[in-house]
Amino acid sequence: MSVTKPATTPRWKMALDVERCIGCHACSVACKVENNVPLARFRTKVYYWDTGKFPKTRRSFLPTLCMQCEDAPCLKACPTKAIFKSEDGIIKIDPDKCDHEGACEKACPYGAIGCDENDVADKCDFCSHRLAYNMDPACVETCPADVFHFGDANDPKSPYSLFMTRYGAETKVLKPEENTKPSVSYRGHEVAMEAKIPKGRVHDPYSYEIETWTQLQPEFPKKKRVMWAKVDVTSNVTMAAPGTKKKGDAA
Amino acid sequence: MSDSANKDRRIFLKQGLAALSTLALGETILLTAEDANAFFWNAKKDVYGQRKSVRRPNGKGRLKNDYSKAVIKKGVCLNCSTVCGIQGYVIDGKLVKVSGNPEDPNNGRSLCAKGQSGPTINNYPERLLYPLKRVGKRGEGKWQRISWDEAYTEIASRIRKAVAEGKPEEVAIHIGRSRLAEEMNRFLNAIGSPSLFNHRAICSSNKRAANYVSLGETDWESADFERSKYILNFGSNFYEAHQGAIHAAKRIIKGRYDNGAKLVTFDVRMSNTAGRSDEWYAPIPGSDGAVALAMCHAIMEAGEFDRAFLDTWSNVNADDLKAWLKPYTPEWAAKISGLDAADIQRVALEFAKARPAVAAFTNRGSGAHYNGFNADRAIVMLNAIVGSIGKPGGYCYTVEPTRVPPQVFPQPKPIPPAPTAKSVIENPPEWPLANKWQRMKVGQIVYKYLQEGRGKVQVYMSYTLAAPLTWPEGRSLAVDVLKDEKLIPFHVCSDVVYSETAHYADMIIPDATYMERWGFDTRNNMELRDYVTLRQPMVEPPAECVSFVDSLIEIAKRVSPETAKYFAFKNHEEWIKLRCEALGKKMGEDGFAYMVKHGVWQDMSKPKYYDLFNWELKPDEIKDTRVDEATQCIYKKAADGKESVVGIMANGKARRGFLTPSRKFSIYHEDIEAAAKERGFTEDGGKGMPTYFPVPSIEKMTPDMLHLVTFKWNVHTQGRTASQKYLTEIVHHNPMWINADTAAKFGIKTGDMVEITTYRAHGHAMKDGGDVLGTALIPAYVTEGIHPKVLAVSNTLGNMWHGRAATATNGKKKKQAIPAWNTNIIDDDPDLDEDIWWDPAKGGTGAGYNINAILPIQPAPLVGMQGWYDTVCTIRRV
Repeated sequence: MSVTKPATTPRWKMALDVERCIGCHACSVACKVENNVPLARFRTKVYYWDTGKFPKTRRSFLPTLCMQCEDAPCLKACPTKAIFKSEDGIIKIDPDKCDHEGACEKACPYGAIGCDENDVADKCDFCSHRLAYNMDPACVETCPADVFHFGDANDPKSPYSLFMTRYGAETKVLKPEENTKPSVSYRGHEVAMEAKIPKGRVHDPYSYEIETWTQLQPEFPKKKRVMWAKVDVTSNVTMAAPGTKKKGDAA
Repeated sequence: MSDSANKDRRIFLKQGLAALSTLALGETILLTAEDANAFFWNAKKDVYGQRKSVRRPNGKGRLKNDYSKAVIKKGVCLNCSTVCGIQGYVIDGKLVKVSGNPEDPNNGRSLCAKGQSGPTINNYPERLLYPLKRVGKRGEGKWQRISWDEAYTEIASRIRKAVAEGKPEEVAIHIGRSRLAEEMNRFLNAIGSPSLFNHRAICSSNKRAANYVSLGETDWESADFERSKYILNFGSNFYEAHQGAIHAAKRIIKGRYDNGAKLVTFDVRMSNTAGRSDEWYAPIPGSDGAVALAMCHAIMEAGEFDRAFLDTWSNVNADDLKAWLKPYTPEWAAKISGLDAADIQRVALEFAKARPAVAAFTNRGSGAHYNGFNADRAIVMLNAIVGSIGKPGGYCYTVEPTRVPPQVFPQPKPIPPAPTAKSVIENPPEWPLANKWQRMKVGQIVYKYLQEGRGKVQVYMSYTLAAPLTWPEGRSLAVDVLKDEKLIPFHVCSDVVYSETAHYADMIIPDATYMERWGFDTRNNMELRDYVTLRQPMVEPPAECVSFVDSLIEIAKRVSPETAKYFAFKNHEEWIKLRCEALGKKMGEDGFAYMVKHGVWQDMSKPKYYDLFNWELKPDEIKDTRVDEATQCIYKKAADGKESVVGIMANGKARRGFLTPSRKFSIYHEDIEAAAKERGFTEDGGKGMPTYFPVPSIEKMTPDMLHLVTFKWNVHTQGRTASQKYLTEIVHHNPMWINADTAAKFGIKTGDMVEITTYRAHGHAMKDGGDVLGTALIPAYVTEGIHPKVLAVSNTLGNMWHGRAATATNGKKKKQAIPAWNTNIIDDDPDLDEDIWWDPAKGGTGAGYNINAILPIQPAPLVGMQGWYDTVCTIRRV
């Protein structure tokens, strides 16, 4: 699945076969290391969803990233034209032009771009700096489950095209109602899980918390969070004296 | 950070902060992390992921790796025991990224999240950079920087003293997942000590023993999942944490989605594996063996077994086996396991009818029990019954996969002889099978035996060990012993970060990471060939960090000429070079250069190990042999006149067979019967057959009791990953899982505080069974994803040390200032200063709870594996 350097300008696209996903987070961590993404900021994120009642329960995963929309709301929203579409279809950012005001973040329906007064606008660009050296995006390269099918849509032999030839009819885009024409499509995802992806703000780190796995909320402001009992871990364990019997047991 | 920025900072350092010479020899703590950070932030403008306070004036975005400048170096991951081949990208002398080594037959270019996190270990600002000596009380956390020479001299003189007293066994090395056991054995053999304490019994010894008993020559199967049609998974969470997780998961995904395989999982908790299996069943803990035996019964009764395999290759033939399995009906197993008999029956027959491309396999869920050895034997037996052993898509295996083949990579001579001194800690008589096939030992009794005075140490060297976090009774018994200077007079810890173990040391020596050091590695190859991988320094270790093996070589040279003669090489690199010479001769090229370039050697001269038992012996192998009429075993006489078995006649040909005493797949095993007799272990499992017997602690449970189990997350490996920020960002909280119905009965909601009380184990070699062990307070997480009688807390998290990421403390904590850090050598990380969003001070949930403190030490009979999942407890809402 290595990227071959095309003769003409490629049109990079991606299809995710989510049925295969094992929820391992390798894509997200690869992305963070590759792109020096700060804590609490995300270019990619994997969502978990637990459903059912014991013993008929199930877990589903949804890896997310920038959809590289053909009709990109972030690009349209940016007042300083810091966001542009490159010839290969990837939506890119010129950080020199970023005003840190976050209009792009508010416009994105996929939680994929983060930008505020504290941070320059940043999002997935299919690891363009790796593509330049014939390397797959970090997430694609590392996935142990072959979830990511990435490549040049103009090349019928690219992993993307081969996957779409076989499964294209079964793929969907996330949140089609947003009409942004994503370049990223999915096969076999739980549509309900789209509700977990925030609109108008970058992914909420709190959605990693285990208690959010059963929920379909996109963000967790403090008032929506579980109030965890405070445990002092320096004193929460008490060892019994040797010979201590269980209550109710004869000595 | 750019070179120029670095330079600027260095200049600033010199001019502006003479006081920052924390690192001067002989000085104790001068600088707190607070001081360092305050100073540091003034100096530092060029950071990634800028925040307003440090927004970069030139407005450039995050730095991008410039791969035109990247140098690729091969290596091997060690962020878990799967040891995937990796390649590192080094740009301007810094390791910026790792990916899978495409040449590695097991993982190829894939890595999991832990593997990807590797570079953050190298660049962790709280890395130990200088040797330290304790100046306060042990465990008080006061340290003074010392020189390496001082460290080596003191360690060597203490070892010399023990040897001079005729007590070499009192020099011990205690390791976790070091992957350097050969080097350490050589070191200890050279001084005459057998005391290499390890962790195999708290990891996997029951599973390994079950494979050894059944197959004879290997402790770990390499099932051919990619070509399987039906996979029965007893207690492995290979989507997240199995040893060989990625290797298995990659192939099982292909098997399922490209080859139509069905996956059925037995686990008490909905892991990622269970939650994504075609069918998930949650049996009562400790009942996996009963379920497997009932499946064997169902298959035999339905006639869906492989008679040819059993009658030719099993040491119990089909008819005898069928008769023996008679009592183990699905209804019997249903009562024990709580599963439906109909499900057991149906799954068994589906599995059998898909034969031979089927595999039933195990891991800790089935094995980490008092009866786990027998459970795992029963599960391995399922494969024999349906004839899937060694078949494409079946339960395949290779020759011994857990050691670097000595014929290909021989150790440099002279090789020190095996020690004659004995250690009851290393080889406790209560568990006669612990060291039978390999020295798996009974690691969980180390501290107990020290406390009871059954064994002694004078010099205790710990390495890659997180015992205070991850050992049963770790934060309780292990810490008590580690703190006690009478029981452990001298403790030197080699570690990368200031860890729980380092905290209780007398001397800390800063280690190189697995991306900065040498070492061979190998394990089972799913491609069914022999292979060996090489770790090499992708970058040099920073400051004064030295790989532990290089330290040992230096120490050995100082102990005595007698010891030094076994270390007549400059360093670990030269040891690796010498060991590659034979490979070079074999290949007709420089063996070391080959390993450095590829990072892996795979023996392509033999076919894949399908049907290994059925391989015909070559003419030279059967020369001068005789066949024993009764057993059909083939005997060969050695030069000294001693006969040994080299194969077995089967289907008219001389064949390799299984490397068991009968040369057949061993359902019955005489050595087990003998060992059980010796120990007075009279339960069913002591009669040489893989029978079921209940776990005593579970059998004696009162109605108010629940089971307490532990588990691993996909982003963490026991006690040593919490310092890696991108992993801990994903999982930093480990409340206690409790089933929703059970929680309702106790009136417990998610977030409520629960008090867990655990009890000591019943069983062989155990005293005080049923006594209260301890209590822990922990909040509850109410879920449908767990058996109603089972509670689960991850074995990871609850770190007291390991730096800011692990302890969920942003910024500037005075107590964390250790005089072996230096932000002039490893940049401070703005993430750790202000962006640990899971810090409780920011409303986060981070740091977690350590439950291992109240999990009782409970070695299984004969083998000694820790019964991790046999703990029984009571709870109450606080």
